[in-house]
Amino acid sequence: MYAYDQYDHALVNARVGEFRDQVNRRLSGELTEEEFRPLRLMNGLYLQLHAYMLRVAIPYGTLSANQMRRLAHIARTYDKGYGHFTTRQNVQFNWPKLVDTPDILQELADVEMHAIQTSGNCIRNVTTDQFAGAAGDEVADPRPYAELLRQWSTFHPEFSFLPRKFKIAITAAKEDRAAVKWHDIGLILKQNDAGETGFEVIVGGGMGRTPVIGKTIRDFLPEADLLSYMEAILRVYNEQGRRDNKYKARIKILVEDLGAEEYARQTEAEWQAIRNNPIDVPAEEAARIRAFFAPPRLEVLSDDVAEVDDLARQNFLFAAWVRNNTGKHKVPGHVHVTISLKPHGGIPGDATDAQMDLVADLADQYSQGEIRVSHAQNLILPHVAKRDLPALWKTLDAAGLGAANQGLLTDIIACPGLDYCALANARSIPIAQAITSRFDDMKRLMDIGPLKIKISGCINACGHHHAGHIGILGVDRRGEENYQLLLGGSGAEDASKAAILGPGFGEEGIVDAVEKVVAVYLGEREDGEEFLATYRRLGPAPFKEAVYGAR
Amino acid sequence: MALVNLTGKETGTWVHIGTETTIEDGAVVAAPLAQLVDADESFFKAVGAVGAVLATDADWRAVAPLANKLSFVVINFPSFSDGRGFSLAVRLRKDLGFRGEIRATGHTIPDQAMHLLRSGFDSVETPDAREEAFKAAVKRYQVFYQSDFTGRTSLAHARHARAEERKAS
Ligand code: SF4
Repeated sequence: MYAYDQYDHALVNARVGEFRDQVNRRLSGELTEEEFRPLRLMNGLYLQLHAYMLRVAIPYGTLSANQMRRLAHIARTYDKGYGHFTTRQNVQFNWPKLVDTPDILQELADVEMHAIQTSGNCIRNVTTDQFAGAAGDEVADPRPYAELLRQWSTFHPEFSFLPRKFKIAITAAKEDRAAVKWHDIGLILKQNDAGETGFEVIVGGGMGRTPVIGKTIRDFLPEADLLSYMEAILRVYNEQGRRDNKYKARIKILVEDLGAEEYARQTEAEWQAIRNNPIDVPAEEAARIRAFFAPPRLEVLSDDVAEVDDLARQNFLFAAWVRNNTGKHKVPGHVHVTISLKPHGGIPGDATDAQMDLVADLADQYSQGEIRVSHAQNLILPHVAKRDLPALWKTLDAAGLGAANQGLLTDIIACPGLDYCALANARSIPIAQAITSRFDDMKRLMDIGPLKIKISGCINACGHHHAGHIGILGVDRRGEENYQLLLGGSGAEDASKAAILGPGFGEEGIVDAVEKVVAVYLGEREDGEEFLATYRRLGPAPFKEAVYGAR
Repeated sequence: MALVNLTGKETGTWVHIGTETTIEDGAVVAAPLAQLVDADESFFKAVGAVGAVLATDADWRAVAPLANKLSFVVINFPSFSDGRGFSLAVRLRKDLGFRGEIRATGHTIPDQAMHLLRSGFDSVETPDAREEAFKAAVKRYQVFYQSDFTGRTSLAHARHARAEERKAS
């Protein structure tokens, strides 16, 4: 993992000092709420429906055990004993007191964390594959580049007041687990024929009320040129992105207006003009950062472990967990383990302080002290020896963290919705709870197979409903919470936009509708065909008929 | 209004002229860009020094033909959140090689002091109540993660500066 040097510490500490000063000025009345607002937002402090909410960055989803312990401590000391992991690899505390927030930020700074740029119209936390550095299918670990981008984007003098928020994601794997085509900038790490490392650069993806899949503007950007090229993209956007209408301010609208080719041309021209300036880091710095992400020394072990097979034969739930929640590691005899934060009937993405402490201890014991957070709102132990799986699972299961539903229908992404969010039209969390309760049967879920449900409480799409195999969107229908059903989206390498199936439903009706959609799939699927493939083959008609009846 | 000097370079004083104002010979004047684009040579000869007042959405290319006649530029922020002003200053320094004073007017906040300075601004006009906060903000950060177009190089370069020196010698 990256470790701060004196300069990184100095910058983050200076920020805490600045914020402490701002909070004091607010508390004494020297600053009005209106004046304070932009300042607190730059430090991740939102005002929600009932209280302040502090959003803490987990840069590219990587946490150490000690950092996780500190999050647990903050949840216990300054909040109501839990934290919420988000779709952008951040963690949110829902009940901090304003007066405590500078202390919280100091607690974070002491373990090399911060809340910088988790809000506001700036470059947000860079996200990546939750299995980075562990996955069997990656070209290289994408995190050194994410760290490079984190540093470059922090307090950027020119790009801190963009037309709108700006999100960058990187993947290095065959399977896109970072949804790069749905980001303002998506980067795919690859190797060219000469064996050099570089990026495919995609711009203009985004969700919100106008969902757009990003377009490639460069097939191969040498890795050494990453920052200067990013700067060129951002300058074009900062100058020309719309500022008259916040719903048309994202880069996706500018890319649509100019056309991807013209956007590429302007970027290229600006890049040629600036690339000889010292914007890109020296090779020594790239190497320094990369060294922090050297793979852990793991003993090569056998993939056949009798204890695992034995327990799997005796215990269906363990067998299901191994099958769904563990995945192939680079090093034989090891796996990465997803700890599901989606217990059936529970709140997606929430973890208590005790659970966070436990995960930290388990990371120390079984996973080289490393933890990851996924955009699907789960936690990951990236480097676990297969032989440790029985003991690990028993401990997790006893703590309510043993759900075997990773990637299945109940592994639902849901935004905070009307339970917390001031912009919401409808509640998201209770819908997720109702669905996971309805489908609380592991055998049935395994039979249904991979199926991603994503729920947003309003058109801002924080729950990524456009990218759900089944998407659910909360709308306001004459003062009533109403839910639209969308089918056929994908956030992966085969990215697609989900389409609305028909009229919306009330809270009960939407759960019934999901069940009917699943029934059509189970009836129509061909051998081994997953939900999305069946939907793509059949189109919406049979689903429509099952849900709405013949009309 | 207070004038906060960000770079320590000498700041100027000038009068703003509108379309109607008659100019005293040798005066230092600031005028909207559009007016300067239309002005003839006699205007530039008559005044002592002239600066352009730019809106944040001004096209830097439109300033190019005038750049060597301008002593200073004023960029007026309608709102602190209009970040085009930063790119505009960068363009003046980077693409036009403009060396004169660049001043921010309008709505900026003290927390932008470093952004202004590092984008190429020399000074900022701000309500008196904000003066101290602006001055404090300039001093708060000593190192930066980015190279900018005012000659500051990034922390990434600083970290390896000694290695670079060794290579050079
Ligand atoms: S999608 Fe809407 S309701 Fe949900 S968190 Fe985002 S803004 Fe709030």
